[in-house]
Amino acid sequence: MKHSSTKWNIHGYLFITPFILGFLVFGLYPVFNTLALSFTDTTIMSGEASFIGLKNFQRLFADDFFMKAVRNTWMIWILNFIPQIGIAMLLSIWYTSARLRIKAVGVWRAIFYLPNLLMPAAVARLFFSLFSFYGPVNQFAVQAGILDEAMHFLQDVTATRGLVVFIQWWMWFGQTIIIIMAGMTSIPIHLYEAAMVDGASGMQMFRWITLPLLKPILIFIFVTSLVGGMQMFDIPYMLTDGRGSPVYSIMTNNILMYSKFSSSKGHLGAASSVGVLIFIMTTLCALGIFYFLREKE
Amino acid sequence: MRKSLLLIMSLLVVTSLLLGACAGAPAEEPAAPAEEPAAPAEPAEPAEEPAPGKTVLNVWSFTNEIRTMAIAFEGKHPNVDVVYTMIPMTDGEYQTKLKSALGTTDIPDVVALEAAFVKEWVEADFLADLNDLLPLTEELKTFPAVVQVGTYDGVAKGFSYQSTPGGFFYRRSIATECLGTDDPAAVQEMVADLDTFVETAATIKECSGGDYFMVGTSAALFNPFLANRAQPWIVDDALIIDPMVEAYIDFAKLMRDEGYESQAGQWSEGWFAGMSDTLVDADGTPKKIFSYFLPTWGLPYVLIPNSGDTGGDWALIDGPLPYQWGGTWVGAMANSPNLDLAKEFIAFVALDEENLTNWATGVYTNEYLAAIDPEVPEDQAQAPGDFVSSQVVVNKITSTFDGSALAEWLGGQNNYEAFGKAAPKVNGALLTGSDDAIQRALESVRDAYLNGEISEAEMWSQWLDSVRNEFPDLLIPDPPAAD
Repeated sequence: MKHSSTKWNIHGYLFITPFILGFLVFGLYPVFNTLALSFTDTTIMSGEASFIGLKNFQRLFADDFFMKAVRNTWMIWILNFIPQIGIAMLLSIWYTSARLRIKAVGVWRAIFYLPNLLMPAAVARLFFSLFSFYGPVNQFAVQAGILDEAMHFLQDVTATRGLVVFIQWWMWFGQTIIIIMAGMTSIPIHLYEAAMVDGASGMQMFRWITLPLLKPILIFIFVTSLVGGMQMFDIPYMLTDGRGSPVYSIMTNNILMYSKFSSSKGHLGAASSVGVLIFIMTTLCALGIFYFLREKE
Repeated sequence: MRKSLLLIMSLLVVTSLLLGACAGAPAEEPAAPAEEPAAPAEPAEPAEEPAPGKTVLNVWSFTNEIRTMAIAFEGKHPNVDVVYTMIPMTDGEYQTKLKSALGTTDIPDVVALEAAFVKEWVEADFLADLNDLLPLTEELKTFPAVVQVGTYDGVAKGFSYQSTPGGFFYRRSIATECLGTDDPAAVQEMVADLDTFVETAATIKECSGGDYFMVGTSAALFNPFLANRAQPWIVDDALIIDPMVEAYIDFAKLMRDEGYESQAGQWSEGWFAGMSDTLVDADGTPKKIFSYFLPTWGLPYVLIPNSGDTGGDWALIDGPLPYQWGGTWVGAMANSPNLDLAKEFIAFVALDEENLTNWATGVYTNEYLAAIDPEVPEDQAQAPGDFVSSQVVVNKITSTFDGSALAEWLGGQNNYEAFGKAAPKVNGALLTGSDDAIQRALESVRDAYLNGEISEAEMWSQWLDSVRNEFPDLLIPDPPAAD
């Protein structure tokens, strides 16, 4: 018996070896390499690099620029996440409700998911054209009397941030709906039946059955959205000038990291230090989410 | 316990994957819209198979332009097989590919370098010393700016077949209507310096009741202002804010506040619409743009294709300030195994009188190339008109452009002659490898200032913060005093 179980174990290890190898090479090694680079002044365009300790990190905190990127990233993520999860939850409840019996749920879900299939670069350029000074939005708004005169939407801090938030929400709420609905439909129907027999209201059933049983799903959405949000890059990068214009109001962590990398010499060390800080920040927040939403035994 | 451990582990996996993705290979910056538009973007083509028994020369470029000359080179050197690889730079693929090939065996012998990033490479240690080709530049009287840009610390590392002086293209009909004449010499008088330029802008605004704009955007003057600084952006590891930079910001603010510019950003749809007289403001009122600042390549690649039926209504003059914009340089990799051949190729491409003449006068037709290499693609050819880097060649061929299609488009003016006068005035000493990032950082806050979103003082300090973050070793001066 013992002999055969050992043999099976070996098979198991064999099966996971490709993943482990891939992970070590493409996952773990880059992490440690990034960490190592962040203590150096490595650039692409010169062969020499030296160890400079924590200087890259000191520089990041020497002025407000890095913190501005962090604030921007958090602000844009939170402003898009709250409506995203809120609306996705509401629509999911409606679509799975036995009372409402909404028809063609699959069609609606597909429609909401569609924006997610678009290339972010194409979406960003589309909105860039729509909201440009001589673009259709200005034409419409002025001729309909909404605006007195054409405005530079993409040079206005609030409007530009609002657009990024909207695009992120619009592209991702369909995805969230799919996951939440999958979670809701997997809750055993007999729990609701039992609650109905006991005379529970819809609100009570949501509060005491749906929400607790949906918690693992919500944690998943929360963490993946956080990880994605902290890395937000393509939409804010393509929407304006790739530097977070206007006035660095949509400069996210990754845009800052990228601009350090792509400046003439290619400052790999300085860019890595931003990457390391994003990593630490994201990890701490994700662990925090797990801690506060853990199963209390 | 086990479950939470599992969760933490999987979380770590996810986050490391994400960081791996960050650290992996962020693509190089996309070609800034301010760059010369690459020739029709084609997918990266795999290099052709080298022919047996021939010396192989690997050439990388971001357009198909140099391929034409590579085929002509093969015609002269039957024992050489030029393996040409085209990697587009639309989104910076070319720069990324080049940087990531460093230190591998996968590097080319010859590389094409665009004006936006040529200095990065000339200032670094990867390109070969081409000083032995310098005598050729004297023979051909290569425009000094072209040599200057390819040289660092007294070592020439790249040469160009083009010179890209900038010009000032204006609409003859608007000039006649508002300025009383469309004669290039007379109009040049009216925009000869910045003061007269502003006066003319006011005249055009008044004459049209605000429906004509002097320029599409004041951003068009950024290049000309920068070209007339006393010092480059970086001297002795310190950032230099030349008085011309401050002057430019004041000038741009004036153009915006007085309504002399259409406010359509450079390369935006409104900016292009002005070229074909199809610009309509938000009210539905048609608007016109009087002039465009564009260099040599701007005529065939930007202006003419977007001009609709306004052809013949244009003229070309020097404008208020001499400047240059764009261009392609060619260099050799220092550790190329075929360095001598690579040098010979560069000499042929950039410093050969016969080749430059053929290049500019339309000799390299598809039939010409097909006679050398039967497998040449059908659209591979060079139309006449590219402005070359040799004063000797320019002098010889200028008259052949009288009455050409380009001249007809310019109302009978010979564009080659006009650029020939502008080219020697260009200053190539001001370019540094860091220009692109520094200028883009300023443009990023400039528009918010022009739009009244931030104050001038905020603009300067935000810009300097940004530069400090991209260039950690640079000494940053105090911000200029705001007016």
